[in-house]
Amino acid sequence: MTTVDTAPIRRKSFKKMITDSRAIQLVILLIGVLILWAIISAVIERPDRYLPSPLTTLFSSVDLLQKGVLTSFYADTLTRLVIGSILGIGLGIPFGLLLGLNRNIADMFYPLMNFFQSVSGIAIFPVIVIWFGNSNTTVMIVILYTAFFPIAFNVLSGVRSVPMRYISAARTLGATRFQIVKDVLLPGAMPSVAIGSRLSIGFAWRAVIAGEMLAGQAGLGNMIFAGQELDNTAQIILGMMLIGLTWIMLDHYLLRPLESDTIERWGLVQR
Amino acid sequence: MTAINEFSVAVQRRFGRQRLRKFGLGLIPFIVLITLWHMNSIFVWFEPVEIPPIADVWGAIFWLQSDCPGILAAIEGHNGCQLTNNISSSIARVILAMVVGVPLGVAFGIMAGMNRVVSAYLEPIGVFMNSVSGIAWIPLAIVWFGVGWETTLFIMLNTIFWLLFFNTMMGVRAVPKVLIQGVQTLGGSRLDVILHVYLPGAMTSIITGLRMSMGFGWRALIAAEMIGGDSGLGFMIFVSSAEFKTEEVFLGVILISLIFLATDRWILVPLEKWTIERWGLVWKPT
Repeated sequence: MTTVDTAPIRRKSFKKMITDSRAIQLVILLIGVLILWAIISAVIERPDRYLPSPLTTLFSSVDLLQKGVLTSFYADTLTRLVIGSILGIGLGIPFGLLLGLNRNIADMFYPLMNFFQSVSGIAIFPVIVIWFGNSNTTVMIVILYTAFFPIAFNVLSGVRSVPMRYISAARTLGATRFQIVKDVLLPGAMPSVAIGSRLSIGFAWRAVIAGEMLAGQAGLGNMIFAGQELDNTAQIILGMMLIGLTWIMLDHYLLRPLESDTIERWGLVQR
Repeated sequence: MTAINEFSVAVQRRFGRQRLRKFGLGLIPFIVLITLWHMNSIFVWFEPVEIPPIADVWGAIFWLQSDCPGILAAIEGHNGCQLTNNISSSIARVILAMVVGVPLGVAFGIMAGMNRVVSAYLEPIGVFMNSVSGIAWIPLAIVWFGVGWETTLFIMLNTIFWLLFFNTMMGVRAVPKVLIQGVQTLGGSRLDVILHVYLPGAMTSIITGLRMSMGFGWRALIAAEMIGGDSGLGFMIFVSSAEFKTEEVFLGVILISLIFLATDRWILVPLEKWTIERWGLVWKPT
């Protein structure tokens, strides 16, 4: 079928451009939010306490940067996140693999894991505080605890989803048990590992913030909490924005590409 | 012997062999854990302050309720009934947040799902709000509303609203265009389309969002009660922890997870299943 497009090439109208381009929309949105924010903070009483203007928030960030506190807080939080999630994922993968390998073990530990998963890391915090005090260890344990379950559950279901055919084929060709794990199950579970890691890191990020707030360990979470105690609302808002932006960046530029790459490379797309 | 055999056969028939095996196996770690816990209170490997005996945790229920005159007073919220008061105040906040947050989230979600321009402006805000997890809002909420009810409610609402907003929006977008055009051809108004096409079409997605928001919201609520609350289970365990009343902390933690598990297992999961059966768009127009 050959059709000749005879419609005249129309130039995009300005209105169309505004509603279609994502970047322009984002800029408009950003400006709109900032203006709204500025207006609200100009109208309300005692804006320094309830909602400091965007400029005040910016100045407070410059102030904190000059003191060198902001960077050190930021580094503290990120270090905790990295170490905590590496430990959590490092423990979760072998555990999920173990459960995925043996049906009996899986049936045995699944209800227990389910129970402990529903005891969220934050709820367990008071117990850990009694055991280890308000220390860095407490925060790390809470992070590790939160990061452990999503990855373990995902690896378990990932290993389960590897078709029996592949395992049988490898076994027929004389593969040992270890080889099957290494060459069939682990690569087959790779997409789940990626998805689970992203979930784990997401949960861990929340746990870092909450843990720092509750245990009073230096970091972004503590920065916003201290901002509330010091009556420095600009510092709270600054911290919140940093928390949000960091996660968006981390998710958008590191975790999501990693996930889709892994799925592309290892995904068992069956046709 | 035959009586036992017959009994076991009957039990297996009633519940199914596989389910019995799973149940039995799943019970083992719990039994081991509880035995270890009990042995700890006999041999005192860890001090009672670190791991309290089971009897103390059980006793904490009665200790917390000791000033409670009776069941009726507990329901009314008598000052002496500390445990039931804390439980009911946590649950009341969940219900209140659901009642306010769910309709709002669904309404905005439908709006964003229907209109490209609205979604273009609301979606980035939603992404940001979801990234600033509920917990990070706590200090600002304390500044705005002070320590107490409003703060915890705000945190819960904030978590529920954005999750439901996103899920509803995705659900509305997934509704096939053909169905909408069908209703419009037959003379359906915009309201008809929303009520009879978008809402039922997005229902499964909304309920999934509800379940998710309950999971995230319950965690956020506990954290909010710890930091900025003056009642509730989160508040209870936090205060007890500062006073080194470990048995109360253990009781609170167990209750928190049991309440969550019960709501999830007996309310939300059946609801989800039912909605998928009832409203799920299994049929796909070609």
